[in-house]
Amino acid sequence: MSKPVVGFAGMTHLGINSAAAAAGKGFDTVCFDADPAVIAGLRTGSLPVMEGGLPELLAQNRQHIAYSAEVKELKQCGVVYIAADVPTDGRGRSDLSGIRALIDTVSAGLGRDAILVILCQVPPGFTRGLPWPKERLYYQVETLIYGRAVERAMHPERFIVGCAAPDRPLPQALHTFLSAFSCPILPMRYESAELAKISINCCLVASVTVTNTLAELSERIGADWAEIAPALRLDKRIGQYAYLSPGLGLAGGNLERDLETVLQLAQETGSEAGLVRSFLVNSRHRRDWVLRILHDEVLAASPKPVIGVLGLAYKENTHSTKNSASLDLIAELKPWRLQIHDPVVPASAAAHPDIKACAAPLEAAQGADALAIMTPWPVYCELRINELARAMAGRTVIDPYHVLDGAAAAAAGLDYFSLGASSVRGNGSRRTAHA
Amino acid sequence: MLDHLNRIPTSPGRVVIIGAGGFVGSAIAKQLSSDGVPVHGLTRKELDLLADGAADKLKALLKPSDSVVMVSAVAPAKTVSMLIQNLRMAETVCNVLANIDIAHLVYISSDAVYADDANPVKEESDRAPSTLHGMMHAARELMLISSTKVPVALLRPTLIYGEADPHNGYGPNRFWRQAARGEAISIFGDGEERRDHILVDDVARLAALVLAHRSVGALNAVTGVSTSFHDIAQLIAKRFGVQVVSQPRPGPRPHLLHRFFDVTHRLKVFPTFHCTPLDQGLGLFRQEVA
Repeated sequence: MSKPVVGFAGMTHLGINSAAAAAGKGFDTVCFDADPAVIAGLRTGSLPVMEGGLPELLAQNRQHIAYSAEVKELKQCGVVYIAADVPTDGRGRSDLSGIRALIDTVSAGLGRDAILVILCQVPPGFTRGLPWPKERLYYQVETLIYGRAVERAMHPERFIVGCAAPDRPLPQALHTFLSAFSCPILPMRYESAELAKISINCCLVASVTVTNTLAELSERIGADWAEIAPALRLDKRIGQYAYLSPGLGLAGGNLERDLETVLQLAQETGSEAGLVRSFLVNSRHRRDWVLRILHDEVLAASPKPVIGVLGLAYKENTHSTKNSASLDLIAELKPWRLQIHDPVVPASAAAHPDIKACAAPLEAAQGADALAIMTPWPVYCELRINELARAMAGRTVIDPYHVLDGAAAAAAGLDYFSLGASSVRGNGSRRTAHA
Repeated sequence: MLDHLNRIPTSPGRVVIIGAGGFVGSAIAKQLSSDGVPVHGLTRKELDLLADGAADKLKALLKPSDSVVMVSAVAPAKTVSMLIQNLRMAETVCNVLANIDIAHLVYISSDAVYADDANPVKEESDRAPSTLHGMMHAARELMLISSTKVPVALLRPTLIYGEADPHNGYGPNRFWRQAARGEAISIFGDGEERRDHILVDDVARLAALVLAHRSVGALNAVTGVSTSFHDIAQLIAKRFGVQVVSQPRPGPRPHLLHRFFDVTHRLKVFPTFHCTPLDQGLGLFRQEVA
């Protein structure tokens, strides 16, 4: 069979990356978004998202890509993916009205034999409930990671495909497209595939929660999680890619959404889900790690401290601030003056009455009583410790992700705090965290 | 969890303190007075909540603009009889507040409402008291909340210390008094139990903040630092130059060995409030009186 034309509806982070990968595999690709401004931007190379390698991939394959705000352009497609963002509220509950509207818009314009594939995070039962012929309706698990989206879209580990009848072969067009990625294809019923996506995220959260729990214990008993994690990675039952880096709780929104979905389903079905509630409790607890240190070290003693904050994005190499630990911290520091830097996110993203936006990281540290490195942007690794020590008025450096060299910071007279290890004092002492 | 009805702190019109003659009540009265807040203190002499006519008496003196602090209790409630007495006292207040409006009610509860295994304790930790005293406070919280439509704040202090404490419970007060008499400080076993001790003045400052913000919900009045009885004894012994001696425990090792608190919620709702460190709080005791 000849290669099908593949359509992507919704030029979201997921949609653009997936479309770029399709084009990169040599498929003619239609990129649809109902917003003409988004399409106009894409045509001129102005992307609504930041993702390393994405502009290059799109540019290299521009002959395969058609951008359009007209739904009729999808008529030529053999396979059309729905790649809408599904927003969540403060508790992680999905608002499905947007994706339903997009499906209505798109399905009305599709060809008679077109395959419709839902690529968004939806709760189990969503796909089966759609009013579209089931033999042409599929759900596909997406595993996008901000900052590594291109790599994962081009080289997926496997395709998990939800079907009405998993014992029947996939339609030729969809099979041809997925086979181009040379990875296992796992057909299963819709509900299994939808829950598989949630299951993947729950397993990741379990690793993150175990790590954060034991990292906190490490801080309190004089152990160093950075010494422990490599030993765990060598255990085949845990694995080298396990999520063993301590963090400030869950962020980004997608993991939290899936936990909330599990809790809702458990409530509706009477399943026991205490573990999932514990994940959320631990996430909230670790989220405020920096705030507690700031109070202990600086805010309790200094009447008018200045706090430097490096990073606003929820993680490095993304513009996204969804559930950003940095923005959460800043919201709790309203009585004090802040100096802020982020290489991508503007300071206006932070809700705070007294902020100085800084053009360079060192400027945010200038005269600060404490510095918190809230996003591990690569540029912060380049900070020179001695310059930092000279610039700061105080001694407290809070570096959750271990961007800087703690020993060098202490040698420069700074009190250094990072996740998973005792603090290192500028006077050379180590101190375990207090309860 | 605590929410503020007054985003900007506003001085309450008048604060009526039920139980103003006690250790905590008098500290709150002193704090409010020094803040310039009009205080109407009711000691047991002015209002005995167990006496006939107590409800009418209370009702007659309350005005709609009043804030009320309810701190009166027969504490610690060690027996069933004491439990019932305390509930009847709360019933009197409930009967009054069910029929009149006031601006705000603050109930001084206790961390004893939480389950023993709730470490670290947070405001949202399960309330599952293991003692009659804890059950008394948990029941009173529910009674007061369910009897009135006025905004209610629950302040749940942990172990409180202060020079004026009339009790001589195991901890800073007793240790101080022993040391001041020139005696060795006695600790049980190794004194390894770690607990949070808050200065009574800090509880009073928190109560004043809750009143000024007209806060609703629950807040733990705790420092977030848990210190072993051994270390507390050593701190005090050093001041007086006395010894710390170990004594056999009067009973089995306590069921609740250590208790830690997570104070993150307080840091968020009262970011500029910080507790007095234990050593500094002990320094406020007058050496000669002790």
